[in-house]
Amino acid sequence: MTDVLARKDRALSPEETEALLRDRLGDQVVGSTVEFGTFTLHIAPSGWHAAAQLCRDESLLAYDMFDCLFGIDAREEGFDVVAVLYSTSVGTRICLRTRCEGGRDAPVCPSITDVYRGADWMERETYDMFGIDFEGHPSVEPRLLTVENFEGWPLRKDFHLTSRVAKSWPGVKEPAELDDEGNVIERIPEVGDAPGPYDLDKAMAEQARAINKPELDEGDADQDEADKDASAAKDDGDERPATEIDQETFDKLIAEGKSERIARSKAKAAFMKKQKAAAAAGDAPAEAEAEDAPTDGIDKETFDRLIAEGKSERIARSKAKAAFIKKQRAAEAADADDTDAAEGAPPDQDVEVAEQADESADAEVEATEEEPAKAPADEEPTAAEKAEARRKEQAEARKRKAEERAAEAEAGDADGDEPTQGPDDEEGQA
Amino acid sequence: MGLMDQVELPKPVKYVFNWGRKYSLWCFNFGLACCAIEFIAASTSRHDFIRHGVIPFAHGPRQADLLVVSGTLTDKMAPAVKRLYEEMPEPKYVISFGSCANCGGPYWDSYSVTKGVDQVIPVDVYVPGCPPRPEALLDGIIALQDRIQKESLKERIAGRRLDPITLGADTPLVSDSSPALPSGGGAT
Repeated sequence: MTDVLARKDRALSPEETEALLRDRLGDQVVGSTVEFGTFTLHIAPSGWHAAAQLCRDESLLAYDMFDCLFGIDAREEGFDVVAVLYSTSVGTRICLRTRCEGGRDAPVCPSITDVYRGADWMERETYDMFGIDFEGHPSVEPRLLTVENFEGWPLRKDFHLTSRVAKSWPGVKEPAELDDEGNVIERIPEVGDAPGPYDLDKAMAEQARAINKPELDEGDADQDEADKDASAAKDDGDERPATEIDQETFDKLIAEGKSERIARSKAKAAFMKKQKAAAAAGDAPAEAEAEDAPTDGIDKETFDRLIAEGKSERIARSKAKAAFIKKQRAAEAADADDTDAAEGAPPDQDVEVAEQADESADAEVEATEEEPAKAPADEEPTAAEKAEARRKEQAEARKRKAEERAAEAEAGDADGDEPTQGPDDEEGQA
Repeated sequence: MGLMDQVELPKPVKYVFNWGRKYSLWCFNFGLACCAIEFIAASTSRHDFIRHGVIPFAHGPRQADLLVVSGTLTDKMAPAVKRLYEEMPEPKYVISFGSCANCGGPYWDSYSVTKGVDQVIPVDVYVPGCPPRPEALLDGIIALQDRIQKESLKERIAGRRLDPITLGADTPLVSDSSPALPSGGGAT
């Protein structure tokens, strides 16, 4: 009975197996891992065939059953080939893994078909899916799994699915997608979207960011900071020079023995915070000005009414302007009436003028809707200018946010806190 | 086929003739994936489509009237389906059973899956579901039988097919299979 059953107690341990194969193969054995209960032996491609032969023929190993063989896309490093062998006499399994020669362009691996006949189709399938050529294989062509004239290698990471090009995947592709500024991309599912674990995605993204934080802070963040400052200076002219820092904070940090870089960054953050606070208190009414300015030449009443009706701001503004002009002309006409009353000027004229004004306003709305950039320049704040102003504001806000975040990261790093410190903590202290 | 493809049969003869045809559908199952299990369930004692006159597991396509494609059709397999379909004698019918056979189903973006068996062969009835229950197949068969009852064999052999039926989309799920005489000439 015991002869029939696999005897695991007779099997070599992974260490013993490795020692044995190292003894036979020398430096062809590159390394070994035991993960999830699987013993993997990394072999140089030149020793691949010999290793398989040894595993089968060595009486202490006796891996007599060929389990499977497959490829792995190792990205820049090329491709790996893994063979799984099983020993029916002792009931253990071993993985042999090798990195193909030839990189991504022409991966080639020695065939073990002459050792294990079962490897034949496995190698053909691996060729089908990864384009790995097997040296010494009877013939990997014609293609086994795909149609014979199939182009490309479907299991390579750089293989494009044509259906996905036409219609992209309707959800989050990776569990931790970040935008350019490092914010977690949150997708609120709409009706008809594929359901996805959005909360889980968010949590994983936060985790990933927390883990990646320290190394990001060392050099890149500051470099980015500097770049941003440079571009900011370019964009805004003299509006906000890069040297604006909170001197007090800077001196304090220098005194504490921080590096100048960190101190400068923190001081800048402090300055920004102060400025923001001041703006909130009403000392910097730049935004308020921007809001108020365009209401000069328009009829406020009409504007409010149209906005309340749910029209877009642009249309409302344009119509209000027309109404304003109409009123103005009516007033002028009334003046004229007063003066020309004796001459008996036709009373319908006002209405006509007003109608003309209305029509021209409508035309203007159409024009601005079609080409907002070509809005008439004689109007005070054209749609294009407004859009420009809004864009600037947004850019400003985004920059501020990014800087603060970087500074916070610095703070967390410098204070030796855990890198998982959330952005809200700093906000609370401020 | 003799005169069948030459002349339109007289109404009463056609009725009897079609009645006979619709209750002896020899069915050739092209089982490709999990839907095939549902097909088998429909053929066994609980659902038992033999009571509807469908005879499962024809010996080959040359003895079959009805082809049921149940499962994921890959580009590699598509030529085989086409070939077996062409081996079937006219008049022949096709039921596309399940989402994969209808349109590719969950493998819509795959590099290897055909986006529907109708890209290869003409389909008479689409049965939606992933996989559909055996009852859905029974319903598809009854919808097909209704069509056979009403159709003209001459037109059918001439290759003029009616638009395919999609269950649940353009027909009520429970069809009326009362053996009434077809009102019109049958063929349209």
